[in-house]
Amino acid sequence: MTMSERKISVGAFFQKYTMVIALVVVVVFFAIATGGGSLKPGSINNLISQNGYVFVLAAGMLCCILTGGNIDLSVGSVVCFTASIGCVMMDRGANMWLAVLAMLAIGLAIGVFQGFWIAKIHVPAFIATLSGMYAFRGLSNVVLQGYRVDISNEKFLFLFGGGRDCYIPDYIRQWTGAEGKPNLTCLAIGIIAIVIYVLMTIRRIHVQKKLNLHQSILGQVITTAAISAVVFFVTWQMANFRGLPTVLIWIALVLGIYQYITTKTAMGRHLYAVGGNEKATALSGVKTRNVYWFAYASIGLMAGLAGILTAARAKGIDPTYGEGYEMDAIASCFIGGASAYGGTGKVSGMIIGAVLMGVINQGMNMVGVDSNLQRVVKGLVLLAAVIFDVMSKRQKR
Amino acid sequence: MEKKVVNQSNIRRSNPIAMLKKNAMLIILVLVYIFFTIMTKGRMFKPTSFASLINQNAYVYILGCGMLMCMLTGGNIDLSCGAFVCLLGALGGMMMVVWKWGTALSLVAMLAVGVIYGCGLGALIAYVMVPPWIATLAGYLAFRGLGTSILGVSSTNSISFKDSPDFLSIFSGTLFKSPEGQLNMPCLIVGIVAAALVVLLVFKNRATRLRKGYEVDALEMDAAKSILGAFVILLVMYKLAMAGGIPTVLVWVAAVVLIYAFITSKTTIGRHFYVVGGNIEAARLSGVNTRRIMFLAYLNMAILTSISAMTVISRFTAANADAGKNFEMDAISACVVGGVSASGGAGTVLGMVIGATLIGVINLGMFQINLDANYQRVVKGFVLLAAVVFDILSKKRDR
Repeated sequence: MTMSERKISVGAFFQKYTMVIALVVVVVFFAIATGGGSLKPGSINNLISQNGYVFVLAAGMLCCILTGGNIDLSVGSVVCFTASIGCVMMDRGANMWLAVLAMLAIGLAIGVFQGFWIAKIHVPAFIATLSGMYAFRGLSNVVLQGYRVDISNEKFLFLFGGGRDCYIPDYIRQWTGAEGKPNLTCLAIGIIAIVIYVLMTIRRIHVQKKLNLHQSILGQVITTAAISAVVFFVTWQMANFRGLPTVLIWIALVLGIYQYITTKTAMGRHLYAVGGNEKATALSGVKTRNVYWFAYASIGLMAGLAGILTAARAKGIDPTYGEGYEMDAIASCFIGGASAYGGTGKVSGMIIGAVLMGVINQGMNMVGVDSNLQRVVKGLVLLAAVIFDVMSKRQKR
Repeated sequence: MEKKVVNQSNIRRSNPIAMLKKNAMLIILVLVYIFFTIMTKGRMFKPTSFASLINQNAYVYILGCGMLMCMLTGGNIDLSCGAFVCLLGALGGMMMVVWKWGTALSLVAMLAVGVIYGCGLGALIAYVMVPPWIATLAGYLAFRGLGTSILGVSSTNSISFKDSPDFLSIFSGTLFKSPEGQLNMPCLIVGIVAAALVVLLVFKNRATRLRKGYEVDALEMDAAKSILGAFVILLVMYKLAMAGGIPTVLVWVAAVVLIYAFITSKTTIGRHFYVVGGNIEAARLSGVNTRRIMFLAYLNMAILTSISAMTVISRFTAANADAGKNFEMDAISACVVGGVSASGGAGTVLGMVIGATLIGVINLGMFQINLDANYQRVVKGFVLLAAVVFDILSKKRDR
């Protein structure tokens, strides 16, 4: 890219942020259609709680897709399987932490198992994970013996976002003894997050200047301001509701870690490199096998975590839970700009994709669209968004 | 004398072990079949099992051909075919039963809907360059919803075709119907003719290749191949003759499979699919109209999906909201198990047929030994994995 292209232009801005604009349009549309209902604190809270699993799974899925459009079809079944084991353990009186550990360990083990076939034997990822999709759905049924198992462990529900009280208590107001709203702890956490984010942007701009990289400073400032404003709005609304849902901590943790892995670590670069050109990457001395192994182990672990979140939110597990989760995760990545052939895609894009799907789902529910038509609309919106994206990127060339 | 020497050098040396490795999936199929025959005390080998194997898996063969063409172009798949079967079934139900359009008109209209969708999808993928994954994911999400809401006209969410006997006989009837357990002569004659044709074709092909100076397999190999093919056809037709005739759906399947086997192996356009999958940029620079190939792949898929929708609603004598669920997975697994490359450029119709049959045999076998439905899924998952691993390992050692 030449320097002149780095300068901000309205056209380039639209091209780069197509999906963000699509998201804004959709949010505004539903805000009007529901008379502001979709922006109410309760709705925003639901949006996060209901889609917790999507963010977690999509983060793992992104790594798999980066390696060359490989996907993991088994996640829905693995979510159900790990949750089944955890719930049955807790139901029989096992310690909560033991159950959590078991769920994560089983998820990881499944990921390593599937990674073995994909990385070492070169079984197509589609087949290895399709067989996992069948097998673990069947095994979940075996574990649950076809019935629903409930969770009564309050601490588990509180920590992983289930039940009415899965919010971080307002420690500041408890400490000062003041009653009422807004939830000060929630606000404080939101403001701290914004401050850290702004500081990071300043540091980044500083480094860019030092290295003489001609990035558009104005663009970064606008982006940072916009994201900060959104974060503040969301925390403000939640502070006026019940506070910060605990599930948000897990989502933020996962997204933060994956953002770090994909942008700052050697393994992250290798994920992109393998997806770009596997042979060239192998010839450059990267052990491509380990890259695949990492991708599938990580999505296994995420499936374990998503199993925990799903079980907590539903306060139990049913043999049918998790069906179609793989498609939610895949769709989020693709809407968020990940290439189906690997090598491109970002965590930030994936987040936008997941939020877009979540907003559409929730908005249609609130407007009262028939569930069959909801699927039609979802398909059409997905298609329209991607066509728009493809067309606007093509004009750039 | 001299000519013979030239011919000798063209004969590919092949030892039996390499041959076995090359056909690992076929051997797995035979072993799995024998295993289930023993487990079911011969029930798996009965005529009715052959008939149900064909009836239950007809859609996999038909969709598999279409999916093969899509996958050849570079590992692209069609996720929407299952949901599209549901939508077309619902539309077919409306046309035939609710609006009473008559069978012929309804079928033409269904096919037309398929062609329109295929053109739209193909144009999106080939000319707008929407990634196939996403373009078809949209259909996957939308069509089942649309189909279900169309079926909402009926209180049971299902439209029955009981009053359309013409339609049922075209897609789920029986040719040369005869009572079960009696040897059906016309059916057997068709089998003998088909078997003779296979032998004839193999040797004619061999003669042509030799004349043109191409490499050929050893004579014994070709002989074994043709005898095996003829034997399988005769066995299947004999069993069907005992089961009461040829299911009409087999005619559809055979026609589709043969046409696609011909297209992929003998025509220029067929070669172009492989070329595009091998290296799309090189193909484009060599003058292949790559966009047209992508367009055709998805148009073709939509047309085959329409045909398979007809066979499916006819088999169930009803259009349901559940019709076509997971069909895309079945078609893709048939291809991948059958050795079609997940990154394009490699795969044959015969391989896909073997893959589809293997999956069908596993499903039917587990059903017949009364395995618990949950364990069925577990076994299916692991057998699928084991089959592909075995295939890969056997080929790896060959190198």
